[in-house]
Parts: sequence; C-alpha cells; structure tokens
Amino acid sequence: MRILLVEDEKKVADIIARGLKAERYAVDLSHDGQTGWEMADAYDYDLVILDLMLPGLNGTEILQKIRRKNQEVPILILTARDGMADKIKNFEGGADDYLTKPFAFAELMLRVKALLRRGPVNRSSVLRVADLEVDRLSQQVKRAGKKVELTAKEYSLLEYLATHPGRVFSRTMIIEHVWDQSFEGLTNIVDVYVRHLRAKVDDPYPTKLLRTVRGVGYSLSDEVDG
Amino acid sequence: MNTHSIRFRLVMWYAGLLTGIFLLLCALLYLNLRHFLENDLRESQARRARQIAQTLLVRVQQTGERYVASQTKDWYEPEINGRFIRITRADGETVYLSGAPKDGSFDPRQVPALTPSSQPEFSQKLKLPGGKTLLIAALNFKSSGHPAYLVEFGELLDPVETMLDHLFLQLALGLPIAVLVAVGGGYLLVRRALQPVEVITYKAERITQHSLSERLPEAHTGDELQRLSHSLNRMIARLDDAFQNSKRFVADASHELRTPLTILRGELENLSEDAQLNPEVRSRLGSVLEEIERLSRIVEQLFALSRLDAGEAQTEWTQFDLAELAKTTTEQMSLLAEDKGIAMTCQASQKVPVEGDRARLKQVVVNLLDNAIKYTPERGMIQLHVRGANGHAILEVADNGIGIPPDALPHIFERFYRVDQARANGSESAGLGLSIVKSICTAHGAEVEVQSTIGKGSRFRVKLPLLKN
Repeated sequence: MRILLVEDEKKVADIIARGLKAERYAVDLSHDGQTGWEMADAYDYDLVILDLMLPGLNGTEILQKIRRKNQEVPILILTARDGMADKIKNFEGGADDYLTKPFAFAELMLRVKALLRRGPVNRSSVLRVADLEVDRLSQQVKRAGKKVELTAKEYSLLEYLATHPGRVFSRTMIIEHVWDQSFEGLTNIVDVYVRHLRAKVDDPYPTKLLRTVRGVGYSLSDEVDG
Repeated sequence: MNTHSIRFRLVMWYAGLLTGIFLLLCALLYLNLRHFLENDLRESQARRARQIAQTLLVRVQQTGERYVASQTKDWYEPEINGRFIRITRADGETVYLSGAPKDGSFDPRQVPALTPSSQPEFSQKLKLPGGKTLLIAALNFKSSGHPAYLVEFGELLDPVETMLDHLFLQLALGLPIAVLVAVGGGYLLVRRALQPVEVITYKAERITQHSLSERLPEAHTGDELQRLSHSLNRMIARLDDAFQNSKRFVADASHELRTPLTILRGELENLSEDAQLNPEVRSRLGSVLEEIERLSRIVEQLFALSRLDAGEAQTEWTQFDLAELAKTTTEQMSLLAEDKGIAMTCQASQKVPVEGDRARLKQVVVNLLDNAIKYTPERGMIQLHVRGANGHAILEVADNGIGIPPDALPHIFERFYRVDQARANGSESAGLGLSIVKSICTAHGAEVEVQSTIGKGSRFRVKLPLLKN
C-alpha cells in the first residue's frame, strides 16, 4: 500500500509519515503543490493525503487535476480552514474525506484505514471484543453471554467504539459520529455517556474493556494496559 | 404624509413664501389703486371748484349770486352727471345747491354741512344716510369787497368702491388658485428631483454585510444626488474591503494557529503511545494533551464566531420545525441533566416552523441547555418551552439555578466573559458558549434576551421570525 502525502509544513508531514510508516504503509512525501501533482501523475497510489494550502499548486487545483485524469484513487483533504463553503467545494471537486487541523492523530489513522478498506473493516453483523458482543441487526449487547440493556445513545457509542477495537477515538470523533456537530465544544457529554456505559458494561465484570486514553479519547480493548 | 420629509417641508416653505409675497403684492396693489383713484377724483373735483371760484365768484359783484348759480348749473349739469355742488356764503346762506341726480343715488339736501376748515382748499368724505360715501373737495373763496364763499364739489365714491370691490374679489379668488397651482407644480417638481433619493434609499436598505459587492444606482445627471450616490458607493466599497480583509485575516490566523496545534498534538500523541513510558510521564503528557484539546476548542469557537460575524453562516438555510428540534435536542442532552439529578423538560406542543441553518440553531439550543445545566445545582429544574406567537417563534430556557447578578447581566453575551471563576465550577468552558448563541441569533435576525434573579434562576428567550405556512 502506497500513500502520497502532500503537505508543506515539514513537521506536520513528518508526524503523519512516521505514523503511517508505523502502520506499515509506504509513504511518498512532497512539500509543494507542483511536485505533489507530478508525483500523483506519475505513480499509481492507493491513497493521496492532500493539504489545501500549498506553495505552487494549491490542494484544490491538484484535486481537480487528479480527478480530471479520472483517477479512482481515494483522496483525503487536510485543511486548516473549515468554512462550510470550502468543504462543499472540495467534496464537489471529488474529495473522499476531509479532516480539519488540528486533528487527533488517531482519527487520521482511522480515516486512512477506512479509505483504503484494508484490514478488518468489520462488516459482520456481530462485533466482538473479548466477551462483549454487539449485534448490529438487533441492536442487542451481551457481555459474558448476559444481555445488557442500553439506551439508544449508549448503544451508538458502544457500537462505534467496537468497530475498531484497540483504536483510540477522540471526543470530537465520537461527538460527530454519535451526536452531531452542534454538540462540538460540549465534550463532557461524551464523558458522561462513557461513565454510564461503563457502569453497565464494565463495572459488573473483572475485565475492563472501556479504556480512557488521557488527553486523546476512549477505546474499547481487551489488551492489558501497559 | 411624513411632515418631516424634505419634500413636505420644501413644498410647505415654498407655499408659505409664495402666499406671503402674493398677499403683500395684492395689498399694495389694492391700497395704491384705491389711493390713486380717490386722489384722481379729488383732484378733478378741486379743479372744478377752483373753476367755479375763479370764473364765476370772482365777478359775483358784477353778475350777482343768481347768475353764478345758474351758470354753475348750466356748465356742470350736476343732476345728469350725478354730482353734488353747493355754494355757501360765509353767513351760512346757501347760494346754490345742486338738485337730486337723475338716477336718485343721493339727496343733496341731506348732505350735512362740512366741518369748517381754515385751509383754502380741503376735502372730506361724508357718510350719507343711505350708507353711501360722498367725496367732497371744498374751497374757501375770499376776496376783498364781497363776503367769503365756500364752494363744495362732490361725487359719490360708488364707482371707485365697486371697482375696488371687484378687484378684491378677483384677487381673493385668484390668490388661492395661483398658490395651489404653484404648490402642485412644486410638489411634482420636488418629487421628480427627489425620486433618485427614494431609489437610493430602497437600494441602500437592501445592502447588508452579505451583499457588499452590490452598489447603489448612479444617475448621470451631474447633480448633487449623483455626487451623493457616488460617495455612498465609495463608502460601501471601503466597507467591503474592510470586511474582506477581516475575513482574510480570520482565514490566515486560523491557518497559522492550527498548524502548530496539529504538530503539538501529533507529537505528543505519538509520544504517549510509547509503551515503555513511565506512568507518571504518561499522565503528564495526557494533561498537556487535554490542554491542547481545550486550546483547539477555543480556537475553533473563535473562528466559528468570526465566521458567523462575517456572515458565512447562511450557507445551509432550510425550513424546519423548531419544536421538533428542541424536543430531540432535549432528549439527546437528557443524560447530562439526569447526571446532576436535574429534571429537564421540553414543552413544545404545536409546530413552530422557522427558516435557518438547522445545525447552528441546534447549537443555540445545545449551548443554552448546557449553560442551564452548568449553573443549576443538583435536584434543580430546567424547562425548555417553544411556541409561536405574533409572528415570532419563541424559545425559552428557564432554570431555577443560581441566577446571574444584575451587574453581570449586560455582559454575559460578551466573549470570554464569566460571572466569576468559581461559578464555572472547574468546567472547561472558555466563556464563549453564550457569545456563539448571540452571534448565531444575530445571523438569523433573531433576538436573545435574559432575565435572572439571584438564587431563583435565569430565563433565556430567543425570538426568531416565524415562518408563515
């Protein structure tokens, strides 16, 4: 899997490249728009991560050029501005996903994974983490074979975390997925729901699955915390 | 009619001035004419009285008084000409009195004697019993050798009066008509001249911060109005520039702040994933990450505010039911209230259709409820009430929490304002939630107001235009 990263901020580019390499992706880096476009033109990439504000060609122009070639390659836009107009313009221009800086690194990894459709994109109707079962069809949750009663929001939250066991979800991601953008800035709502979820899913059992990663977010995992 | 409008005032001034000048002219004309006609009459009578004295009375010694009387009658034919002639001797004896005029307009015998005067020539107006006025020129004729005589020559002022009455009537009728015509013409002229002002006003009303690229119409008439609209247009252009600059500034600042935040966050997240990390260090890293998240959130909110103020919030306007929005939002946030043992209810029985950016207005509800939950102690109560009344959609959030002190009330919608640090009870809020509420409301043409009593609770009310079905 080969990823093209076009990002002029060297430090941002380094962090992203490092993270992607740690996930065993091959990463080509370009620090300006012109080279970025030439590289995208010359090689077949599995994914392009594109910053919008670039010297030379800007991200939107590269996006249009790539799409004019009718390439199927998924494109993830990184941007430091999140005006609604920008977002619409780029989605119309053929972007597959959109991430606003400053983003949680965990979130970028999740989106990259989703775009590459690699690894266990769990499409089965039952998600399993240790002895926890989440049935997406009946929206039933069982822990150690016993049914757990959850409210609709608690269920959405648990299901979302269960789609990528071991992955850390930031509060922003959880809010956007389980609630909507209107709740941004209201991060304690996630904490309250996680606490209620914990009381039902974790507290009665010796193994705790819902983990808090301080400063980052939450994850569902049976790995013993190091 | 607007009595303060330039059109009204201009026409009124114009009409007043015109009426004044007309009245003055008419009065002058009338009085002058009257003076001239009376004088003329008096002159001709005096001349005739002199004729009688110099041609007849001079030789009264030779001819005798009888001859004077008959000659006077022959020459002036007073009965035919409607004249009054009387010659009186100094001892009071009447030498001659003209007969009654043929038209019977007056009776000479009823004309009273004149007030004596030492002047050689004088004139008097006499009111006759019939109401008519007789203008009499009199002459004291003295000569050595015979007694003094008083010669009176008079004529009715009637023809003069009639003529003047006629003139008065014509002026009295003509003046209002002339003024009316002038005012009407003036009104039309002023209206025509001010028509561009109406157009400019109409157009200017429609230029908002979102349509600063539009300009006012400029008529190329070369007059003051063209200069005015040109100046206004240049002012709008400068405003436009200023707005564009501030928008650009926000976009640039946004980029400049976000990039270092991204780096900080990425590096620290990377570090904290290191499994070898000592738990103490990991906890400190977590604490720094929390602060970065908070900082990012403040930056987000600030930019959201700037964008709202710059008018970029109108991208996704739809029509929707505010009551339904309030109900779902209350439901979604119910756990936050429950967590503090607060009873949160939503009353929204009928549909309340409004138009706007649904996500933004939802944020208003979220922020108001969040605020209420934050400042209401455990076991408190929060009521959300949505209704339509008098063309307005009204959304009220009332709590029985700690309330807001009166001196803080005017400031609570200001950015970063906090009633006091303790009240935020360690929450992460930066004091931007209510500013965002205010900005969203302003962008929707809505009003937001607050009433609060310390210890009793607060009531926030948002008033939006109601959509007509």
